Amino acid sequence: MRSSKKFGLAAAVLAGALSLTACNAGAGSTASQEAQQDSVTVALTGEPVNLDFTTTAGAAIPQALMSNVYEGLVEIDQEGKIQPLLAESWELSEDRKTYTFKLREGANFSNGEPFTAEDVKFSIERVQSDEWVSSLKSKMDVVDAVNVLSDTEVEVVLKQPSNAWLFDMGTLVGAMFDPSGVDDLANTAIGTGPYAIEAWNRGQSIELAARDDYWGEKPGVETATLRYFADAVATTNALQSGDVDVVYNMQAPELLSSFESNDKYQVLEGTSNGEIVLSMNNKEAPFDDVRVRQAVMHAIDRQAVVDTAWNGYGTVVGGPVPPTDPYFEDLNSVYPYDPAKAKELLKEAGAENLDITFTVPTRPYATAVSEIVVSQLAEVGINAKIESAEFPAVWLDQVFTKHDYQMSVVLAVESRDVLTMFNNPDYYLGHDNSKIKDPAAKADAADEAGYVEGMKDVVRTIVDDAAADVLFIFPNIVVADANVTGIPANSVTEALDLTNIGWK
Amino acid sequence: MAIRLLINLARFAVTYVAATVLVFLFMRAIPGDPAQIALGVNATPELLARTRAEFGTDRPLIVQYFDWALGLPFGDFGTSYVTRQDISPLVLDRVQVSLILVVLAMIVALLIAIPFGTLAAVKHRSPGGILVSGLSQLGVAVPNFLAGILLVVVFAVGLGWFPANGWTPPGQDFGDFASRVALPVLALASVQGAILTRYVRSAVMEVMSEDYLRTARAKGLGKMEALFKHGLRNASIPVLTVTSVQLAALIIGAVVIERVFVIPGLGSMLLDAVGNRDLLTVQSVVMVLVAITLIINLVVDVLYTVLDPRIRKAS
Amino acid sequence: MTTQPAAVVRSTRRRPAPTLLIGAALVLLVVLAALISFVWTPYDPVQAAPADRLQGSSAAHLMGTDRYGRDVFSGILYGARITLLVGLVAVGIALLIGTPLGILAGMRGGAVEEVSMRAADILLAFPALLVAIMFGAVFGASTTTAMLAIGIGSIPGFARVARSGTLQVMSTEYVLAAKASSQGAFRIARRHVLPNIAGMVVVQCSVSFAIAVLAEAALSFLGLGTPPPVPSWGRMLQESQQFLGTYPMLAVWPGLAIAVAVLGFNLLGDGLRDKFDPKLNGGR
Repeated sequence: MRSSKKFGLAAAVLAGALSLTACNAGAGSTASQEAQQDSVTVALTGEPVNLDFTTTAGAAIPQALMSNVYEGLVEIDQEGKIQPLLAESWELSEDRKTYTFKLREGANFSNGEPFTAEDVKFSIERVQSDEWVSSLKSKMDVVDAVNVLSDTEVEVVLKQPSNAWLFDMGTLVGAMFDPSGVDDLANTAIGTGPYAIEAWNRGQSIELAARDDYWGEKPGVETATLRYFADAVATTNALQSGDVDVVYNMQAPELLSSFESNDKYQVLEGTSNGEIVLSMNNKEAPFDDVRVRQAVMHAIDRQAVVDTAWNGYGTVVGGPVPPTDPYFEDLNSVYPYDPAKAKELLKEAGAENLDITFTVPTRPYATAVSEIVVSQLAEVGINAKIESAEFPAVWLDQVFTKHDYQMSVVLAVESRDVLTMFNNPDYYLGHDNSKIKDPAAKADAADEAGYVEGMKDVVRTIVDDAAADVLFIFPNIVVADANVTGIPANSVTEALDLTNIGWK
Repeated sequence: MAIRLLINLARFAVTYVAATVLVFLFMRAIPGDPAQIALGVNATPELLARTRAEFGTDRPLIVQYFDWALGLPFGDFGTSYVTRQDISPLVLDRVQVSLILVVLAMIVALLIAIPFGTLAAVKHRSPGGILVSGLSQLGVAVPNFLAGILLVVVFAVGLGWFPANGWTPPGQDFGDFASRVALPVLALASVQGAILTRYVRSAVMEVMSEDYLRTARAKGLGKMEALFKHGLRNASIPVLTVTSVQLAALIIGAVVIERVFVIPGLGSMLLDAVGNRDLLTVQSVVMVLVAITLIINLVVDVLYTVLDPRIRKAS
Repeated sequence: MTTQPAAVVRSTRRRPAPTLLIGAALVLLVVLAALISFVWTPYDPVQAAPADRLQGSSAAHLMGTDRYGRDVFSGILYGARITLLVGLVAVGIALLIGTPLGILAGMRGGAVEEVSMRAADILLAFPALLVAIMFGAVFGASTTTAMLAIGIGSIPGFARVARSGTLQVMSTEYVLAAKASSQGAFRIARRHVLPNIAGMVVVQCSVSFAIAVLAEAALSFLGLGTPPPVPSWGRMLQESQQFLGTYPMLAVWPGLAIAVAVLGFNLLGDGLRDKFDPKLNGGR
């Protein structure tokens, strides 16, 4: 019996030691219960890998930090319009190349430094420098020079007039940085926004604390916590058990029925900048033939796709432009659902009974959509074989970089990305932009009315050319406790704007 | 006995080093350039080259291997390219969470298995014994994540008795910790309990038919007394073996439970790192798992020598 | 000495024969489902039919339809095919690599034994799920990945069973005599070892198969197994999670299928172990 006693003792000591050190393991993943009215917890899927969107791609980082921690000179409101933020007002010169911004007084960074025109110059030039590695930096290429006129006045001179630039300043490339706050962007974020990062539990949550020294109105809560989950079901489970208050950008619309009929919760369906793009490799057979592409456009019943794949949530617009963009128009009439017409076009192109590979990324919307698309294509004689591609790693490598695909589907989330997608023959869509290159450049340089009309023409050309099939505009679905107010239902930029969030 | 210990330690070291080489080479075969993934779309070749230099992925393989492997025994896992943070503290935190979950589950499983297994063995011909045996067969056949999902649906979402998911460390708020850990532990323990019940039953039944038990009974000891005094010690050996083997496998096996219950353990860290092509983190987590398994095996081998007189005599 | 595999823990001699029968019957059920699926399924398990989505059980659809309108029963039949395929290949790999490894180790002893047992130890340090995750990262999620990974993860089990059985056989009178008369090792292996360890290996096959079924389900649930749209029980379970509140049967059917398969192979293994038990006792 002695050896068993020894064994038992050893086991007890080990267990004791383990439990002592483990007392705080996994700390911070579930926020402890503070007074409910003082805090709000938002559930999201897709966590940020670090805090630095200047070098790391992905929507999760700006979603958490833009508007909340970082601010720009302007912001984009729920209708997609540009509003003043750090810039109180601005003037555009006659030749439309020079913006003169009058900056707000009293704004400061969370490290105590005041916000001045020097910071504007620093931030814009930093985008153009080697420090910024993110591809979005090309949006600042049009800036020729930044001149500091005074502490509160700054002049930005563009190389040519650009309608896109001011809008872009309301997105992540326009974030204002403090020169002394950029040492460790991967792990810290110093901005002028209403929140500062209180705690970051990697892979689990980000805690934002409302700043007392913020220049504007304080948010309706003291703490806002963003909690990250691996899948949508977990988010709604957490909502139902009271662990989170809001589920934002919800990815499992099938689960909404139990919330819609329940007074304890509110369900909001807003728009987003995301388009579900069914891509057809314009540079490779069989999709290098416009008739084949047009056949696909007629073969797909987009409303049925939305109804079956996404439980009816989502807007069918027939084109690549979301309703919040100024040059939006409803283009559903261009390619109505018409399988007979589709078969006719395929016959004309000599492409009956096609066999194609459909590369589908491993995302819930993609797998859902692909199943319906395959069955609809089968009805017009196109046999699409699904090939799964892990997202992001494999899909980015194979489809996006190497263009090694025939048909694919992906959610394109960038705002105003029509030109990024179609005005570049080297983009994975492979669209021949000879028809739209000049009109697009003209539209960007024109005045506002000219911009809108010009872009509308460009979009119509793209759609006529059946460059890709935008199945629907991805909805921004929010499920929340009925007493939460100030939730931005429309997702117009990458940011999840928590500045107005509060409780009734 | 000291020699045996040394031999065991040597075996451990050799196996561990071989595993590091295997893992390292294997990870290099993953498609998808970490630099490309970190930079995302439209990264220019110059930016990619710069980032590769920053990550060190452009160095010769041997250099990269030793740079990583030599830090392992000291717990230095390097800095992740993707998160730009030291990997070691994160791994340590996650290991503790996983161990808490798995050890608790194993304890509950043993609390189920030992009494029920013994009962099933002693009364193996009665309806009760057969029932327990049958239930344990059923328990083994159900995937643990299915058990987890069902528990969430019934007890968390349906009845609202427990939170549906999440994790609070025991030191922070013990009550919250207990309510959150209950369902995942139950999900793991029900399946493990079934597995262990079967082993306990087998082991006890085998012991029951041993000669020395009959001898003890011939000497006048009661049935249960004989069992407890002589039998259980020998029955504990295979059960100990199985428990430790299961423990090692359970840490990674719990990854699915971690997904269902959103627990920040080692398994989900591994899955996330794989998705982000965070090679260093994947390597490090895999080696931690391997080390835990090998250490458990080492401990069991040593304990074997202590517990089983036959082996002790043989050495 | 490294630990004994639990598979060799002996049961009592008197487990009722029903175990073998029930196990065999369940396994046969699964095999039948798979075989039938090759010839006929009520509907195409892959083709979506949006108009019929999310229906409960009916005469037209015995087990109802899923979110895409696909017939669940057809999916279960087809999924049996995947489950059996993965199990067969995985067990096959483990059997064909692990058994010779174990026999070699048991017969030769010395350095050969050390090396092959170390190899088995290394493999043992990588549970099948871990190997599968690593394989999934390198080769992408697929049925092949699952098969290879589970197969590799199951090798140590076979190696140990083969080795311990071989050790027992090697110490019997027959073999000692054969060695004394300097019969070749290969001959000894063929004439004496193989027939005697065959029983234990068969039992291990059954046990491994059950483990393979569970592993495949877990992998598919994590998204590392058979990719869509091919139906697999594990993925059907994962897809049904969204609908647990509204259409719980979508989870019940694949869950039941998995349980039946695992139960069947476990019972089969137990029953076979009892049958071979008298022979196993020989080496004590």
